[in-house]
Amino acid sequence: MITLGIDVGSITAKAALVKNGKLLSTVVIVTGYNARNAGESVFGKILSEAGIAKSEIDGIVATGYGRNSVTFAGKSITEITCHAAGAHFLNPAVRSVIDIGGQDSKAIVMDEAGKVKDFAMNDKCAAGTGRFLEVMARALEVDINDFGKMSLEADNPARISSLCTVFAESEVISLIAKGEKRKNIIAGIHESIGSRVAAMAGRLGLTSPVMMTGGVAKNIGVVKALEGKTGKPIEVSEMAQLTGAIGAALIAMTL
Amino acid sequence: MTGNSQTPDTEKEKRKIKSVKKMKEIMTNYYMDAKTAEQTGKKVAWITSGGPVEPLIVMDIIPVYPENHGAMIGASKMGVALCEKSEEMGYSRDLCSYARADIACAPVNGGPIGGLPRPDMLVCCNNICGTVLKWYEVQARYFNVPLFILDTPFSHTGFSDEARKYVRKQVDEYINFLEMVCGKKCDYDKMAAVGKLSVQGQRLWQAVLDTAAHKPAPMSAFDAFFHLALIVTLRGTSVVVDYYTGLLEEMKERIASGISAVPNEKYRLLWDNLPIWYRTKWLSEKFAAHDACLVADTYTSAWCGSLKYIDENDFLGTMAEGYSRIYLNIGVDEMSETVIEMIDKYDADGFVMHSNRSCKPYSLGQYDIQRIVQEKRKIPTLMIEADMVDERSFSESQIETRIDAFMEVLKAG
Amino acid sequence: MKNLALFHEIAENPYDYVKKVKKESGKKIVGYFCSYTPEEIIDAAGVLPFRIFGRGGDSLADAHLQAYSCSLVRGALHDALSGGLDFLDGTVFPHTCDSIQRLSDIWRINAKTGFHIDVVLPVKLDTKSSGEYMADVLRKFMRDIENGLGVIISEDDLKASVIKYNRIRSYLGKIYRIRSENPALIGSGDLHAIVRASMVMDRDHLLEELTKLEGSLHGEKTAGKPAGKRVVLAGGVCNLPDIYSIIEDSGGTVVGDDFCTGSRYFEGEIGVNGDLVESIAERYRERINCPAKHSGLFTRGEHIVKIVRESGARGVIFLFLKFCDPHSFDYPYLKDMLDRERIPSMLFEIEEQLPSEGQFKTRCEAFIEMLKA
Repeated sequence: MITLGIDVGSITAKAALVKNGKLLSTVVIVTGYNARNAGESVFGKILSEAGIAKSEIDGIVATGYGRNSVTFAGKSITEITCHAAGAHFLNPAVRSVIDIGGQDSKAIVMDEAGKVKDFAMNDKCAAGTGRFLEVMARALEVDINDFGKMSLEADNPARISSLCTVFAESEVISLIAKGEKRKNIIAGIHESIGSRVAAMAGRLGLTSPVMMTGGVAKNIGVVKALEGKTGKPIEVSEMAQLTGAIGAALIAMTL
Repeated sequence: MTGNSQTPDTEKEKRKIKSVKKMKEIMTNYYMDAKTAEQTGKKVAWITSGGPVEPLIVMDIIPVYPENHGAMIGASKMGVALCEKSEEMGYSRDLCSYARADIACAPVNGGPIGGLPRPDMLVCCNNICGTVLKWYEVQARYFNVPLFILDTPFSHTGFSDEARKYVRKQVDEYINFLEMVCGKKCDYDKMAAVGKLSVQGQRLWQAVLDTAAHKPAPMSAFDAFFHLALIVTLRGTSVVVDYYTGLLEEMKERIASGISAVPNEKYRLLWDNLPIWYRTKWLSEKFAAHDACLVADTYTSAWCGSLKYIDENDFLGTMAEGYSRIYLNIGVDEMSETVIEMIDKYDADGFVMHSNRSCKPYSLGQYDIQRIVQEKRKIPTLMIEADMVDERSFSESQIETRIDAFMEVLKAG
Repeated sequence: MKNLALFHEIAENPYDYVKKVKKESGKKIVGYFCSYTPEEIIDAAGVLPFRIFGRGGDSLADAHLQAYSCSLVRGALHDALSGGLDFLDGTVFPHTCDSIQRLSDIWRINAKTGFHIDVVLPVKLDTKSSGEYMADVLRKFMRDIENGLGVIISEDDLKASVIKYNRIRSYLGKIYRIRSENPALIGSGDLHAIVRASMVMDRDHLLEELTKLEGSLHGEKTAGKPAGKRVVLAGGVCNLPDIYSIIEDSGGTVVGDDFCTGSRYFEGEIGVNGDLVESIAERYRERINCPAKHSGLFTRGEHIVKIVRESGARGVIFLFLKFCDPHSFDYPYLKDMLDRERIPSMLFEIEEQLPSEGQFKTRCEAFIEMLKA
């Protein structure tokens, strides 16, 4: 049985092919402004990469922000359910997931079968999302991919207290003007995002093992900040960004 | 060697209010008594800041004020961590930060004094707001202790006879409640004596605040925020009367010696709403640097505002109206009249309003009060948007800009 | 045949409807907030009670209300200041929460919507003295509205209104029960429209239509698609009809609620023997309380669990306004109670309109995906 999961996010679109319960192939592209085209594009790409024909696919599930524009999918399922299923696949022992995406963040607690027991979301406010980091990277004139590494070298993380991304940006600018080191500011930014997400996750009652999924999981600084704020070790899979698509493909097997 | 001119340090020393030390002693003893109540066999009541404390004093119950504790949490800059904890517990960030901080404190004994002592009872008077009702319900569930609610109906345009009757009835119910929880009868003679002390204390507090009408003011609103603690917490005791007698003396001496809160007072301002507890020093210095003194405020004067309704010879009979008609339990137009009276009394050049996210009864209506004040007195108003305990809602550079701009307007005017 | 179209029409265009009534019959209109308003007394005065919600747009409120107040008070004030409520002959403000309390003052100072009456109801509902005070306040309200309108309300007038309201509420209750037992017979969006219309319709006309509707539902056979996972809604004011279709599209079926704009609006019958004012007061005291009122520490929680059990629901969706302090304070203990009862729940803070990015839809879908069938 071959199933496909497509996760159309606000920044990237991902696809995962699963054959007989094993991960066959994955693809990541930039979404651009047209979610529908991104869905079709990533579909075409993964078929050619895996050398599989459309007719061989037994089921397709779409997830993510743009899931409803993937009209060729059999079903659309939310990324909450898919991230839980995907995290379970990557490590069946995992009981909680924290996902910081481009424009929202979520915490999920699940059972031993990878089914969602409860979840919490921050989807109203940029602070605590990938967008927050992008804004800050611009303000600091640093490549966002260097954030993680740089923050680990901080000797005195700055304190950024503003609740609002826009005001936090002015705090960061003030700190730059005062001569604060970039690595300390970045560490402060990570602490800030960590606090917000940990507070949201705290409402749920995280159970170990905790896995972080989604694009921001590549940022070791945020992971460490989250570990500090939640008081729990957090694992990150190499497949972090693909968790949603993998979960979607797995769910397609049960439909 | 220094000459005989005063160095800046001694100048600063002279300007410090000496009574502060005494206040700190009294408050420390008070909190220690409260925290050791279990050992001394005394009962502890948590009560709202606008609640009738006098019957507690009569019944020998130690009154503890979660709101005063909230102010201490803010002043010790522990507000953010506790508010974050309350959010983890499921409380919305939009709720009152006193409540959030206190609710988070209880399970972890957080805050600057290791948490408040467990209450034996909760006394909630909603004259200040509806939030305290919900906050005290939360604590009643948490501590599983009896809760008494004194429901003081709002006076939009006047205090109705129906309300007067209702609140008076509840005062009796309150006494019954205390008798039941304590297992002893109320001594009405002591009640009369405590009532008289309460009125005396309030009069002295009013007199202390009145000294700031002098030009230059011997104390500022920031000083009042500090010295307020006793009239709120131990009203009805002789400790309060003695303290404010001393403080009043000191203010008179300062006036006689020409000592003012702000060395070069040029601009006199009125403050509205609760203090920004974690930034009182910063604000005080910021305004002082502009030669501006906050000479009075609507918050501290609320604890002597009921004098006009209370008859010291019938405290029990008149306290219903006294507690109902406080500054926050009246209509916006009546509040505006009070503000204008204060502007005239203290000869204020400007009005500083703290739009406090945490306090809807105090903050909603400020825009109309601002407008009425501008119409009737034509003085400039500064609006500072922040929160009394949650520092995450304080944007320093934005607020600094506003203060500077406001002072520029004042100076030009 | 169901006359649902009428209810939907009125629910979607309450202003057009009520202005038409005023024009055609000359009947006066009195605006009000909150389900604690003693409508029976307003009706007995011979006028039409019109519940105010605001209708999107709050910019005129900015000059009077900070952003941290709920969209109900901001929207309503905007509506009044823009002249949208000029057809009102009077406005009634019962005591509810701090925001409505201050709105009343601001409204009284700035808006022109006829006479202004505050009904300062007690916050406590469970003591003898608060019960007496409530009856006193209702009597005072009767005098105030008589003065405001220049009418006298006779004992007969009041009794007739009470009987009418008892019947209206009884039908609304029946229709809710029919829905819960047989969701395919009538949609939850339809129920919303019916209750919404009930707050503004000519109450005699309303009674006629409800009688017809309930009768016609009895005669219906089950039809349509199988119902989805059963959910109960909990919260305060919900003026968002789209919520129902989103929940249904997500695979859920709403089988009950404890909304101020739902079951709490029509629960409770008023005794017609003895002192009518006392009986009216009793209904408002006994009815499950709004969190802005006090009636025991666990009453609401127990009530929600009861609704869930009785309707066979699988989960609870909390929907209340952002910046609503009373609901926000209750939420943690309610969630705890539901967790202990193993009833899954989800919270979504709402504003005047649903966010455009489908956030509610996503959460709703995820929640319903999570529920057992």
